[in-house]
Amino acid sequence: MLRIEGLTAGYSAIPVLNGVSIKVDEGQFVAIVGPNGAGKTTLFKTISGIVQPSAGTITFEDHDLLAIRPSQRAHLGIAHVPEGRQVFPSLTVMENLEMGAMTEAGQRDWKLNIERIFEWLPILAERRGQFAGTLSGGQQQMLAIGRGLAGSPKLLMLDEPSMGLAPTIADFIFERLIEIRRQSNLTILLVEQRVAEALESADHGYVLEAGRVALEGNNETLRADDRIRKAYLGM
Amino acid sequence: MTQALEGFLQALSAGLLIGAVYGLMCVGLGLIFGVMRVINFAQGDFMMLGMYAAFYFFTAFGVQATFGNTFGPFVAILLAGPVLAVFGYFVHLTLISRVSGMRTSSLEGEGHYAQLILTLGIALILQNGGLLVFGSVLASIRTPLSSSAWELGPMLYDVSVFINKARGIDAVVSLVTMLLLTLMITRSRIGKSLRAAADNPTAATYMGIDVDRAHRIAFALGTGITAIAGGLLATNYPFHPFVGVEYVIVMYAGVVLGGMGSLIGAFWGGMTIGLVQQMSTLILPTQLQNAAIFVVFLLIIFFRPQGFFGRMVERT
Repeated sequence: MLRIEGLTAGYSAIPVLNGVSIKVDEGQFVAIVGPNGAGKTTLFKTISGIVQPSAGTITFEDHDLLAIRPSQRAHLGIAHVPEGRQVFPSLTVMENLEMGAMTEAGQRDWKLNIERIFEWLPILAERRGQFAGTLSGGQQQMLAIGRGLAGSPKLLMLDEPSMGLAPTIADFIFERLIEIRRQSNLTILLVEQRVAEALESADHGYVLEAGRVALEGNNETLRADDRIRKAYLGM
Repeated sequence: MTQALEGFLQALSAGLLIGAVYGLMCVGLGLIFGVMRVINFAQGDFMMLGMYAAFYFFTAFGVQATFGNTFGPFVAILLAGPVLAVFGYFVHLTLISRVSGMRTSSLEGEGHYAQLILTLGIALILQNGGLLVFGSVLASIRTPLSSSAWELGPMLYDVSVFINKARGIDAVVSLVTMLLLTLMITRSRIGKSLRAAADNPTAATYMGIDVDRAHRIAFALGTGITAIAGGLLATNYPFHPFVGVEYVIVMYAGVVLGGMGSLIGAFWGGMTIGLVQQMSTLILPTQLQNAAIFVVFLLIIFFRPQGFFGRMVERT
């Protein structure tokens, strides 16, 4: 579904990503883990078109993504739940969800989607009239996820949904994501620093270090890998 | 005593009526600033173009013949709005978009320096171009209503207040325009996407909103709104190609008073300026009207630096 090959990208002349290749198949849950500054967020921004790559290709369902304008990419079925939530603070919860549903698919499935989102994340239904800027961090993260789901995406990209949240809230959000995945069969690409949780639930994982894929493999190989156990899982 | 009360009520009503039009004028600028964060120095000159557009439309397209001398000017003013909106759309498309929006979002200063120079340049071209095309003779949009009044009263203490009919209609048109704009911004899909693009352009792009297009719509709307306000002012005040310079300062004062980024704030900011300007004539010579505006402006900003409706939050 998503195929990234030899991607080199960065800010000014310094590349943050250096020849990264990643593949996400339909229905898969792929996790990208790695330390701060490894280029995980830059990878997502390049997929969404906010950062221009200097080399490499990105293909999404036979579309050459780099030839498509950034604002059009959501309409292909890519939802980006950005790092640090980035909800629209002066819009209400409901209006934020409506913004997520700007895509054609989101318009078409609005009724069904909103019902499911409220079922998965009931706090959003409770707070629907409240300005997003007044929500707590955890609630904003749930809104950001709901906003991503409202567009009926084919691929949901989550950039560190646990960032800056209390561990119990991060756990809750993780548990919700697993449940959403189980019910919807959505293809998910997750970037996460909580390596243990991310690798536990993902089908396939990549370890990104200093802009390169240091390691990749399916769930079992990665969790059994010595380097991962030592560096990330603390075993 | 009666005379003082009459003078006070007269100034108050004039202030409210003028303030309503100033409010609309500020909203046009506030919309552009709020959505795009572009400081547009040419806004006053867009308003000047709106005044001349209304002036010429009145005698063209059979407006005068169809609607008569009394209401024809208002029809012409309402026509000038959409025409200037289209003008604003193309100014953004050809010029402003080159130094704003996603194109400059990653630059230091987000392109503000280039925006200052560009909009100042547009202002100069419009002023001097206006001088060439329209000439330096004072023009005005006269309707018989400009020189007649409704009498309110006599009320308590035998006091009556006279409401200039043209100003009264100006205020009503202004309020209705403001109401329609507010409805559009708060309720419609396009209005919501403008607010989303203003809140967080990057996240808006992730939603599939074309931020540059949102900016273009805001710029066109803001230009059209200010043009209508200009036409309304022209029913009472004569104008010339350099009239924009006089108003653009008032516009900025209004937008800052109301709180940068808030439309309703911009309206009340403009209203405050209209009120202060008219009320100051009670105790100060008319020449000091504008000085009074800025004294009050400084006082308000001293005690409430974020303006009436401004929020003390950082943008994410």
